[in-house]
Amino acid sequence: MSDKVTICRLASGVPGLDATLGGGLPEFSFNLIVGPPGSGKTTLAHQIMFALATKERPALFFTVLGEPPLKMLRYQQQFAFFDSQKISESIRFVNLSDEVSTGNFDEVLARITKEVEAYSPGLVFVDSFRSVMLEARNQPQGTLSLQQFIQQLGIHLSGWQATSFLIGEYLTNSDPHPVFTVADGLISLDQSIHRNSMVRQMQVLKMRGQATRPGMQTFRISSAGIEVFPTALVRDDNTATLEPVGSRRTKARVAVGVPGLDEMLGGGLPSGYSMLVAGPSGSGKTILATAFLAEGVRRGEAGVIVAFEQTPSQSRTTTIDDMVRAGQVGLINTRSLDLSIDEIVHHLVGLIHKMKAKRVVIDSLSGFELAVAPTFREDFRESLFRMVAVLSDLGVTIVMTSELEDRYTDLRFSPYGSAFLTDAIIVQRYIEIESHFKRVLAVVKVRGSAHSNELRQFEITDAGIIIGDPLGDYEGLLSGRATLAPPPVKVLGRAKLR
Amino acid sequence: MVEATAATWRLVAAQLAPVIGARGFEVLFGRALHMTSTTFPWLVVSADHGGSESPLPRLERCLARQDPATAAKASYTLLLKFTELLMTLIGESLTARLLAPVWAGPSLSSTQESAL
Repeated sequence: MSDKVTICRLASGVPGLDATLGGGLPEFSFNLIVGPPGSGKTTLAHQIMFALATKERPALFFTVLGEPPLKMLRYQQQFAFFDSQKISESIRFVNLSDEVSTGNFDEVLARITKEVEAYSPGLVFVDSFRSVMLEARNQPQGTLSLQQFIQQLGIHLSGWQATSFLIGEYLTNSDPHPVFTVADGLISLDQSIHRNSMVRQMQVLKMRGQATRPGMQTFRISSAGIEVFPTALVRDDNTATLEPVGSRRTKARVAVGVPGLDEMLGGGLPSGYSMLVAGPSGSGKTILATAFLAEGVRRGEAGVIVAFEQTPSQSRTTTIDDMVRAGQVGLINTRSLDLSIDEIVHHLVGLIHKMKAKRVVIDSLSGFELAVAPTFREDFRESLFRMVAVLSDLGVTIVMTSELEDRYTDLRFSPYGSAFLTDAIIVQRYIEIESHFKRVLAVVKVRGSAHSNELRQFEITDAGIIIGDPLGDYEGLLSGRATLAPPPVKVLGRAKLR
Repeated sequence: MVEATAATWRLVAAQLAPVIGARGFEVLFGRALHMTSTTFPWLVVSADHGGSESPLPRLERCLARQDPATAAKASYTLLLKFTELLMTLIGESLTARLLAPVWAGPSLSSTQESAL
């Protein structure tokens, strides 16, 4: 048996925060919550407090200057987590403004000590630390300096066996306050505004003794409180919670539900693959994706669709709507413009687990990019890569559609260079033959598998996509203006296409 | 009567000042006094006195100058206004929780419980 100390980790009560912190809040830790006004510091503190406070582990919440406590109580009780039953039973608010306004930190510390000794709290919150810092300017000579005060407080708090939180404002990189060194944990909150969208992010800069999720994690504040969407980990060390729902990559092939297309793919889409269907507007990408889900449903495999484009009921064949209503397909339909990819992935993974889904459709990447807050667009490709990795880790087979500007001068598959992220690519194009717009498709890539390289004409009928014969008699199809190849060239043309 | 009122307010202040601060309590108390003074104009004069003195002794002096029936009515109205004011700010359940010891206290308890 190990005689090392075991650090008990408290579940913070904030969805997603424990994963971000690397397993919860270490008991008896001294933490700082910092961020600009309006970033959600007090809300975070309250949510943690209401979740953790019990009669056995009471909480003391010291309010300093800053936000008047009346206002804080008025607004915080709008959140679902605010339980007035707990007030005075297991939560006590203590206002320190009188002591702080003297600028004499000995008094402040004495008052805090007195309250803590009288109440023996398991949780201590001081809101806000910024106002303490401001008051430090008018402190009388010969008394505790702010730095000493914070250090004393930190020492006292750990000695009192309390998990404590100091809530403060700005964190400047150029002038880090010494308290940051003293603290065991440092959570920084931020909100970034870009045009019309606002994105909230948090970062755990420090949490002694545990591996935190690196980088900025997005979160949302709703009437339920804060919900954090931790960055999707490609390989989660906590594999127990991420057990594959679908079949992991096997040699099995998945039927895509379009007659003839399975043969073109070399016998179906390999299970666990991600496939990109790229094509111009109206070329039939959504119909192909719908057929993919419908085929799954026909075989008793549930699916999930993330729809950013046309409302699903507008689809022509077996509609997504019907399948969603029948409970065979889960739908995430969003048009809000301030999403983070992590938030979508979070919902998506949740839904895949819930539905035990094996097929996933993202329709479309172009709509997805629009729905993502501008702040995240720069990293869209990187996030997309992570998303595909997380999904394929779950063992689901993915079809993603991508709008493709119809250019006849170059051959492109996706505007984000996301083509390399996917295991298979189908490209759809419009061509002109005998003064008619015709649709063609081709399988461009199926990783590790033989596949057709023919350009096949196809039609969209009420029965779905009908794939026609190879267009062997034409050349220059990808230029958009096909010409009938003369017999001798025909052979060459075919050779070229192959 | 005056002593009972003063005791009640000391209890209210003791309950609220730690939570919302002494200053926060005084602001609410001042506002309640102001609202009560529309019915009992003799209260407004006292509220206007210099800002440094704690409002409670002033209230006591004011009440002492009135006949007991009027003073009781005014002090009841004041407590009612104060409670209403707190309820509009932080809601009924939180107000009830914070002021519970006041209602449980020896003075004015029966009348105030019905007022809630």
